[in-house]
Amino acid sequence: MNGLKRVVITGSGIYSALGFTPGELFDNLAAGKSAVVRAGEEENFLPTAPAPRDPERFRALPRTLRRAMAPSACFTAMAGLAALQDSGLTQDELLALSAGCAVGSTMGSVSTLREGYALVISGQSDRLSPMHFFKAASHTTAFNLARTLGLNGAIYSPCSACASGLQSMGLGAALISAGQATVMFCGGADETGSEVSGSFALMYAHAPVEDDPTQSSQPFSAHRKGLVCGEGAAVFCLEEYEHAVKRGANIYGEIVGYSSNSGGNGLSQSDAPAIARCMTDTCKSAGISPADIDYISAHATSTLQGDAAEAAAIREVFGANVPVSSLKGHLGHTLGASGPLEMAAVFEMARHGVLIPTRNLVDVDPACAGIDHLTAPREKPIRIFFKNSFAFGGINASMICKLNV
Amino acid sequence: MNLTRDEIIEAVNGALVNEMELDPADLSPEKTFFDDLGLDSLDMVDLMIGLQRKFGISLRDNEEIKQVRTLGDVYDFFEKNQAMLTAQAEAAKAAAAQAAQQETGK
Repeated sequence: MNGLKRVVITGSGIYSALGFTPGELFDNLAAGKSAVVRAGEEENFLPTAPAPRDPERFRALPRTLRRAMAPSACFTAMAGLAALQDSGLTQDELLALSAGCAVGSTMGSVSTLREGYALVISGQSDRLSPMHFFKAASHTTAFNLARTLGLNGAIYSPCSACASGLQSMGLGAALISAGQATVMFCGGADETGSEVSGSFALMYAHAPVEDDPTQSSQPFSAHRKGLVCGEGAAVFCLEEYEHAVKRGANIYGEIVGYSSNSGGNGLSQSDAPAIARCMTDTCKSAGISPADIDYISAHATSTLQGDAAEAAAIREVFGANVPVSSLKGHLGHTLGASGPLEMAAVFEMARHGVLIPTRNLVDVDPACAGIDHLTAPREKPIRIFFKNSFAFGGINASMICKLNV
Repeated sequence: MNLTRDEIIEAVNGALVNEMELDPADLSPEKTFFDDLGLDSLDMVDLMIGLQRKFGISLRDNEEIKQVRTLGDVYDFFEKNQAMLTAQAEAAKAAAAQAAQQETGK
């Protein structure tokens, strides 16, 4: 990270369509399960990958906290509580350390925005709850996590669409690396809805209605027709290395490299040269060679242009020497949650020594060829892995984690 | 809105149980909203918005409702003012209908 301090991960928590713990998520991924179902009429029956919006489960959060939370913030808070518990840090320690957080999402809460529009447009704005702002705000996931965990440090909420989660991880790591924080809870969250899936559909980037929705998301496949929107959250406890060692914390891995850039001209199109530069810069920031990477967790969302651009960039930087897969065939594209959520799965892959393949990838698109696609599980130890996240607006972010610290 | 005191108590307590997740056993008239029931000013606004919707009235510009301290104060407020609140709501509705008619007639 080229900073003063080393940054390690000492806790993780998730809330997803395929599990509420990283272990459960791994088991479902390894079993080849898909979270994708057919949406209702409100979302034009498009394929979608919803996480359980379960009021009973959310009752684990006190009402005084929950009243300001839409599903995206509930997902975050549930994941955050699990990450805190996993870290072994106490409330007193968090306060003494001025622990902070960085959590982002695409647009706060689309379901709350929709409820608000409906009231305002129908002339009933006096019926808006005072909680509406807190549920819908772009930083709702971050400040609601801080309230839930009782964090009294800095609250950040990078709002960079589908790179929000990985940029939040990168920001938290940078703050710790620079000596400005000791503990940061970082991650991403999102909820899907017709505003999101419909926008992708208008751009011909969403998978169409299929007889079998579980086949809809096909990253890197010659038959892919677009992405499937999903939702969920993942939160990690990032901690300064010496502090973690001193308290005997369980260390999942070390964030050794991070970089984020843009092509300077992007709107919806991915830019292969900019992605390649981002990945190269990430390796440089880690001080390691691309040949040292054991696995790449691709962003690949199953869009025609995006997957091809990422494959081209991987081909340029890594050649065909590093196994690559995307978990969006299983989970759909969980948007702002995708980077951290998929990272949580990779830590479990490392624990099991098994790489999960890209679901629904049988015939690799020639435009995505020339890299080592995982089309079946592969046993391989992971010592260092690479994670990509990209977003509308030309945003690229990559991270390298080293295990067995 | 033409309710007996018992119906008012049922509606107000129902909102507190369903929306604020309070225990029905805690809901007695002498309880204060902030100290006894643990609510805050944002909860009170939410509660009033819910009751506005339930009763078909508007409390937005009512100064008296802003002074309530206990659950009994709220029961008393609605019992005493329901006729006036209903008249206000009907007048507002009629004015809105007239404005819409004039707009259509332009």
